Amino acid sequence: MKAIFENINQMQTTGIIGKYAIGGAVGATFYLEPSATLDVDIFVTLPTKPGQVLVSLTPIYDYLLARGGTLEGEYIVLDGWPVQFLPPADSLDLEAVTEAIETDVEGVRTSVMSAEHLVAIALRTGRPKDHNRILQFIGQNAVDDDKLHSVLQRHNLISKWEQFERRYLGGAHE
Amino acid sequence: MSKNETRRKLASLSFSEKIKILEKLRDRSLAIAASGLRRKTANNARKQKVKG
Repeated sequence: MKAIFENINQMQTTGIIGKYAIGGAVGATFYLEPSATLDVDIFVTLPTKPGQVLVSLTPIYDYLLARGGTLEGEYIVLDGWPVQFLPPADSLDLEAVTEAIETDVEGVRTSVMSAEHLVAIALRTGRPKDHNRILQFIGQNAVDDDKLHSVLQRHNLISKWEQFERRYLGGAHE
Repeated sequence: MSKNETRRKLASLSFSEKIKILEKLRDRSLAIAASGLRRKTANNARKQKVKG
């Protein structure tokens, strides 16, 4: 997986992408015990020209296909891993990328979403596996409650969080 | 070691070490998928259910 981050960092250096952050199960692994996953989610901001409304992932695909990547549906396979590049869909995704935490994988710089943003995105996505991941974060005390509530408030997710609490935590989680 | 202790120990590993574990887990999942073992196990479970 190290080679994936090397390639992404090179794309950042050459200006093909702006900031990026690892999300999904691989991002969660930064905070939790590793759990099996088959793909890597990379949230990425893309430079836009004045007046440009739509963003295109074509420069990313062109760059990576020229360096041995292969296409597989919506994924590009790098270093044996299907990688999905996701431009921010809303203000929550954008904030998650902007406020990502710098770390490294075997000496290669990379960035991971904060635990609170990963939880907020999982809550918004709302599949059973996302709810399970939120419970893992809570069970391992991997989230800061105050930070999480401020993220949830900023992105209008409080009522969804209250539903989640009622369903899985038997009321308010303190 | 309890399940919770194991989880805590795994969670405290460095990101690099965790990524190596992810790679091993993935290789194992792919090997199981390629061998058809999962399908066979699922079929056996179904057959047993029908018998029972």
